[in-house]
Amino acid sequence: MLDCGMHMGYNDDRRFPDFSYITQNGRLTDFLDCVIISHFHLDHCGALPYMSEMVGYDGPIYMTHPTKAICPILLEDFRKITVDKKGETNFFTSQMIKDCMKKVIPLNLHQTVQVDDELEIKAYYAGHVLGAAMVHIKVGSESVVYTGDYNMTPDRHLGAAWIDKCRPDILISESTYATTIRDSKRCRERDFLKKVHESIERGGKVLIPVFALGRAQELCILLETFWERMNLKAPIYFSTGLTEKANHYYKLFITWTNQKIRKTFVQRNMFEFKHIKAFDRSYADNPGPMVVFATPGMLHAGQSLQIFKKWAGNEKNMVIMPGYCVQGTIGHKILNGQRKLEMEGRATLDVKLQVEYMSFSAHADAKGIMQLIRMAEPRNMLLVHGEAVKMEFLKGKIEQEFSIDCYMPANGETTTVTTNPSVPVDISLNLLKREMALGGPLPDPKKPRTMHGTLIMKENSLKLVSSEQALKELGLNEHQLRFTCHVQLQDPHSDADTLHRIYTHLKSVLKGYTIQHLPDGTVIVESIVIKVSSSAEDSNTKVLLLSWSYQDEDLGSFLSSLLKKGLPSGIC
Amino acid sequence: MEDAEFEDILDDWFIESLKTYKDLHVYQLEHPTQVLEWTSGKSVCVAGYSQPKNEILELRLPLKLLADENKSLCAERDFKVSHGGFTDGPVRCLTHIPGTRWAVTNDGLSSDLQVWDLGGEESDVIRRTGSIKGKRSASERGSRIAARPSSAPQVLHGAQISDVQLTELTSGETLYKLETDSADPLSSLQFVSDTVFLAGCCNGSVYVADTRTSAPPQLSHSPSSDESVIWWTDGAAGPHPSSRRVIRVSSSGQAVVSDLRNLGGAGCQAQLDVQTPGRCSQVDVKVSWAPTLDDCISVSGFSGVVQIYNTRLWGAEPQEARPLFEHRGHAVSSQQTDDSVPTFVTSHIWHPERPRTLLSAASDGSVHVWDWVDPDRQAGSPTP
Repeated sequence: MLDCGMHMGYNDDRRFPDFSYITQNGRLTDFLDCVIISHFHLDHCGALPYMSEMVGYDGPIYMTHPTKAICPILLEDFRKITVDKKGETNFFTSQMIKDCMKKVIPLNLHQTVQVDDELEIKAYYAGHVLGAAMVHIKVGSESVVYTGDYNMTPDRHLGAAWIDKCRPDILISESTYATTIRDSKRCRERDFLKKVHESIERGGKVLIPVFALGRAQELCILLETFWERMNLKAPIYFSTGLTEKANHYYKLFITWTNQKIRKTFVQRNMFEFKHIKAFDRSYADNPGPMVVFATPGMLHAGQSLQIFKKWAGNEKNMVIMPGYCVQGTIGHKILNGQRKLEMEGRATLDVKLQVEYMSFSAHADAKGIMQLIRMAEPRNMLLVHGEAVKMEFLKGKIEQEFSIDCYMPANGETTTVTTNPSVPVDISLNLLKREMALGGPLPDPKKPRTMHGTLIMKENSLKLVSSEQALKELGLNEHQLRFTCHVQLQDPHSDADTLHRIYTHLKSVLKGYTIQHLPDGTVIVESIVIKVSSSAEDSNTKVLLLSWSYQDEDLGSFLSSLLKKGLPSGIC
Repeated sequence: MEDAEFEDILDDWFIESLKTYKDLHVYQLEHPTQVLEWTSGKSVCVAGYSQPKNEILELRLPLKLLADENKSLCAERDFKVSHGGFTDGPVRCLTHIPGTRWAVTNDGLSSDLQVWDLGGEESDVIRRTGSIKGKRSASERGSRIAARPSSAPQVLHGAQISDVQLTELTSGETLYKLETDSADPLSSLQFVSDTVFLAGCCNGSVYVADTRTSAPPQLSHSPSSDESVIWWTDGAAGPHPSSRRVIRVSSSGQAVVSDLRNLGGAGCQAQLDVQTPGRCSQVDVKVSWAPTLDDCISVSGFSGVVQIYNTRLWGAEPQEARPLFEHRGHAVSSQQTDDSVPTFVTSHIWHPERPRTLLSAASDGSVHVWDWVDPDRQAGSPTP
């Protein structure tokens, strides 16, 4: 099972994956060898505790170390919002999240993991978010690569996805962003700085609710650099809750990123900023402009919500939401344009401050998909989560450029992909030596020869042995098949001379073949024997006896047709 | 953080852009385009120009750019490839037929045109549906194309002035031919009303004719007798006859504005602030009247910059003009790896309604969408 996400657009059971595709009743353990989670976004892992603890699965769940560290935090947050805030009942509990995470086996990048004696998996760097991985799955000589979410343009702190030329039979990728062309990161950052700057300039306060593990650090560095450059004086604060979590994140991060990113981004202590200071709740009431980063990211509780309540009534202020907000949170409501919010104790809050929604998440676009295909060289492409009608062009593009088939199954549809598995066969040493001896010391690419042998399939092994050995093993006697034919020829010479003339003729026609004229009165062409005798009635009529073994059938037929035409006159 | 990285994050142009642009979007196409053509108020077509095969793409503008109210609540900044197709050659010219889902292209290698169906809701594939034969001439040149503004699907096309004809798309019938003997190659062709069109020649002469009549066209000779210079033309198809003007720009940076009704008469002129020796001969200069800003024109093709000028400041005598605004985005953030070949802006267009929104494309595959701030209305420059 590749990923186990929650559909964030539904409130009822449609938000869970439909596990009845796997089995109508009972636990999933018997039907799945393993579950692989690509990254911590809820649309990829949100239903994991539901699947493992409520539907039932006890097998291994694989994910990278950072994903394993971050998933439970996000899942618990999500559970709190859904159950405590929205009062839902058919949902997983905190204990279920813990029990689920006990089944997790962490993966390192580029490390092959044997799930069982046949199935092996390997994780590759996907960019996108901390810990995101693409996964290569192999059984025997067939393999599949699942991309999860990835991006191909390097991000300042996350780098671009990378995979080797593993040539999987199928490459599975999301098609949601396949038909987009992404606006540059710089323009998104520009918009962010512009909005912050404009608010500060008019004396407003800017609240940026963040989830500690991700975007916050990047935005801090951006603001710090901007403040330095523009010589700005307004204070920037970072709430203390964030600092603790951020250090945890920092530790996860340095082991995950590569050398180059570490140098550029991580070398400095992430929280020693010149312009960014620790926040104290009393500062929220200070006059004048300021910027505050506070958790949690969806404004559903805690410090960010407290600050929001204080600042919402002033239209000079601004709240910038840097990511997706789950239904039921204040963040979700204000991003949907709600300007009056019902708070605890029936109080209403008038939302007069400016609300800005910004998206910084990195996804591969049309160009990115082509780059990934070029890197991995899959034999077939599978695009999921798109509308077939809106994907025809991309399908055509992929098929044209790479000459591979591109499938676009809808949810619930089964796709069958034909593979060309390679079958490894062991060759017996005797056979190998014998065949090599026939051709000369070195193989000649200009003279390919057919090898004769017998393929024996016994139990799970395949062996190629010489025919004699195969017959011996099977307890069979070898039979030889030889063809004989007589050809009449008009030739006034003696038998011996006719034979010699035949020899000369054949030598000039069959260049490259082994032709011998033996002292016992035969001409041998490969395995074909030619003898000459005179007819009893007329000594000028020669009878040629041709005999060949069935392996030389073609050459034998050729010779008999050739000799039936007679000998050319100039031969001596 | 090292200084180099400091600068990497925030370079001068980036900082400046906070005040000089209201909106700015930067995209990277897989292959550069020389054409940018509106197919609706929300979508444009682009197409490649390499050999042998290329893609034609119809791109829908990002929702954030188009949203007026609730702009802040829309995070969607990406282009969506709504339709795409494949061509068998380069695309040098692409014209959308108004009121239809058809487009007509020319490959710059012959005068023949290709007709395309841009696709609808049922499919995202752009398909070739037919072709229109152009007139054969001794030198194989590409044709210019202009679509009749009204709902009749007709195209005006030709590689040189004597070959200009109006063809009905569905029947292929020739409805009109321009009667002239001159074989001057064309650099522009456009309708200024439903039946009146302007044909600008490379040598600077401009012909004005009406497709309803077989009367000979009005001819306005080139402003310059220098034969080495190439000219490009754009006509302002304003609602008022008095706003119907024509601008001609030469490869040496000379710009001449005249009234459509009196092309030879006194208009205004200027010497544009462009690096003429740097011009790339493969790239057309594009000059365009702003659709809603009176007297403003835009020019590109001399370098990696798009310039906007206010022609009201120009006089009867050619003087050096300073641009009102310069979009240097393509030059500054060039993705080209080969430093010896600088980036050129291959095309640009104005949004038909939003006064200061333009799209520009460059030879490195970049496409920018920008909404510039009039410097005269700027609230002051950023403090360095």
